[in-house]
Amino acid sequence: MSTAVRAKGLVKTFGRARALDGLNLSVKTGEVHGFLGPNGAGKTTTIRVLLGQMRSDGGEVELLGGDPWRDATELHRRLAYVPGDVTLWPSLSGGEVIDLLGRVRGGLDPGRRAELLDRFELDPRKRCRTYSKGNRQKVALVAAFASDVELLILDEPTSGLDPLMEAVFNDCVQEEKNRGRTVLLSSHILSEVETLCDRVSIIRAGRTVESGSLADLRHLTRTSVTAELVGPAGGLARLPGVHELTVDGDRLRCQVDGAALTPVLTELARAGVRSLTSQPPTLEELFLRHYEGSAR
Amino acid sequence: MTGLGALIRLILRRDRVLLPVWILISAVLPATIAASTARLYTDQAARDAFTHASMNSPAQLATRGVIYDASVGGLTAWTLGSSGALIGGLISILLVIRHTRVEEETGRRELLSSGVVGRHAPLAAALVVVLAANLLLGLLSVPGLVANGLPAGSSLLFGLSSAAAGWCLAAVAAVAAQLTAGSGTARGIAFATGGVLFAIRSAADSGGVGWLAWLSPFGWVRLTRPYAGDHWWVLAVAVVFVAVAGAAAFALSARRDLAGGLLPTRAGPAEGSLGGAFALAGRLHRGTLIGFTIGFAAVGGMIGFSARGLDTQLDTRALRQLAETIGGPGAGVADVFFTFILYVMCQLVAGAALVSALRARTEEAAGRADLLLSTPVGRLHWALGHLFYAVFGPALLLAVLGGMAGLAYDGGLLRVAGATLAYLPAVWTVVGVAVLLFGVLPRLAAAVSWSVLGLILAVDLVAEFKLAGGFVLELSPFVHVPALLLGRGAPAAALLWLTALAAALAAAGLVVLRRRDLAPSS
Repeated sequence: MSTAVRAKGLVKTFGRARALDGLNLSVKTGEVHGFLGPNGAGKTTTIRVLLGQMRSDGGEVELLGGDPWRDATELHRRLAYVPGDVTLWPSLSGGEVIDLLGRVRGGLDPGRRAELLDRFELDPRKRCRTYSKGNRQKVALVAAFASDVELLILDEPTSGLDPLMEAVFNDCVQEEKNRGRTVLLSSHILSEVETLCDRVSIIRAGRTVESGSLADLRHLTRTSVTAELVGPAGGLARLPGVHELTVDGDRLRCQVDGAALTPVLTELARAGVRSLTSQPPTLEELFLRHYEGSAR
Repeated sequence: MTGLGALIRLILRRDRVLLPVWILISAVLPATIAASTARLYTDQAARDAFTHASMNSPAQLATRGVIYDASVGGLTAWTLGSSGALIGGLISILLVIRHTRVEEETGRRELLSSGVVGRHAPLAAALVVVLAANLLLGLLSVPGLVANGLPAGSSLLFGLSSAAAGWCLAAVAAVAAQLTAGSGTARGIAFATGGVLFAIRSAADSGGVGWLAWLSPFGWVRLTRPYAGDHWWVLAVAVVFVAVAGAAAFALSARRDLAGGLLPTRAGPAEGSLGGAFALAGRLHRGTLIGFTIGFAAVGGMIGFSARGLDTQLDTRALRQLAETIGGPGAGVADVFFTFILYVMCQLVAGAALVSALRARTEEAAGRADLLLSTPVGRLHWALGHLFYAVFGPALLLAVLGGMAGLAYDGGLLRVAGATLAYLPAVWTVVGVAVLLFGVLPRLAAAVSWSVLGLILAVDLVAEFKLAGGFVLELSPFVHVPALLLGRGAPAAALLWLTALAAALAAAGLVVLRRRDLAPSS
């Protein structure tokens, strides 16, 4: 499988602030890649480098096999971008903006355009100055999804959408993936990334702290286990990989490292189990772990 | 009205430079006019002759109205009354719209209104500040007038008359701000209303239908007759107008949604025909360019028309001397003043060109360039689309200005149009500076460009009155443009090197633009 986006050791400084500090990112062709990080982590800066709007101060970057700075115009024929904060021309109607973006990107599919307008419930006749943030985002999304491109770069695209529209958005991304398009989806909305993404990169303070499939990342974290027991499970506390163990009568709760699950279950079975719940870590918990102690 | 105090402080904070500058200049101007009137027309005979000539000129009657008394005070009030009200009214309109409709349109009002701010507080705050500023500039003008030997009572009435005119147009703007969702349209409605009110006064005085002037704030500012009988009670008419229009604005404001307007927003096309960055630039510049074209055509016609009678009207020894100082031996008063006014107008054209030249930066700062430049549109292509209007826009404006002035003035169409178009390379130089700054210092481009134009204006003013010489003058591109109407020749060389300079500055700016990071303002 080829690579749509590859960045290695990316550095970008603004005065004395290091917005990107050796960032790595690898997006395979045809995958939906989640690009996660808190506000100010460097997500938008990375995207601006990928779009050739900024030149990095160090590191290597390759986009669709080209140099995003030098080959910007050529590469832009093959991608569509939706900014996090969409600003549009106040006097143009939404339909005019969609068609303008579509034309400069080399034309868009009118059937798909009509279908998307319908699904996103967007009135294309309204002037952009009267659109809410969510509606401006819809304009950019419709223009992007209706374009015939290989790569979609979406920067926090659902931050202004209501839950119903988020569902429409999720369907659209799924369809794009089924058509073999690559999607780079920056977000701090975890459930969105969890449903949509094949792989994720988590960044913090301009550095990549974790990258891999969600399954890979779950190895790194703990499953939370709640059990109602018949007898005491005294051996549990001594097992390596068991954390935050609390016992309240016959009820027991603890966090278990992925590698320690088998011995824990063996120990629980020995004590006798009346009921058992085990929850995989949500991305929320992944996140919390990564940003634990990151208060700078 | 909760939050009124905080909103007033916010407005004062945002306009902490603009307000004092406006108030100060407006407060000093009347005294300057009074002083120069006293100097130019030293005796009653000169003032009578001037009054006689002016009252026989339809152009003067149309622009300034009737002279009620040929005293220094009477002439000062006439010179400044109607046109001063026009400038004060213009600024008042801009300020009221800026702090009401623009705030709503950009969504900043929503942010504030979700806090503890009463429904009517924003409009009230804007009106309080603008009305207070008008009152202040009126009152501050009094000491200067008194210092020139004018009676204190009449001077106070004159100051209050100017303030009242500003009040009336602020109230007009307050109503206009309630009507439409777009601030541009609201501004247009307020300006158009102001224009109609001015035209009513013009028609009243030049057409001899005196009673019509009672229907316009531009009439009231003269009908108070400062230094000519002092009709104080006319101020009450203006106050009633402000009260009624203000109440209407608040009533309308109560009946509409936040960010909505009373007039429905016209729906746009569901499908677009814009095919690229050039077409988009055309669409973005079109409205402004049409507005400027109409404006400069009107101004050109008015200048030409006014200049017709100038040779007889301004035929005093002092003015002939001044004309010869500026224009050289044998220069006609009318040609000199015509040249001077065209010169000032050409600098206004430079201002209009600057708006176009900085448009690309506006697009970049707002983040709209980010979206467009993520498509196969290249930066150079995008910037050239906007530059096109900064290059050919002023050519159109100068042609229209000179053409209309030439048609109305009996000095010959081609002669005047040619003399006006000769300023094009100087205007381009200002555009070139802006494009260079857009490339090199994007975040400061607007502020520095306007400062440069302001500085050029200052240099030119100094040059015009021969207050400085040598190196300082060389700094203004406009000084290098030959005054063709005064028969100063050798234009080709200066025009060519100014054009070359402008092209070099713009090219340097574009080269840097291609190499720098995009810099949205957030």
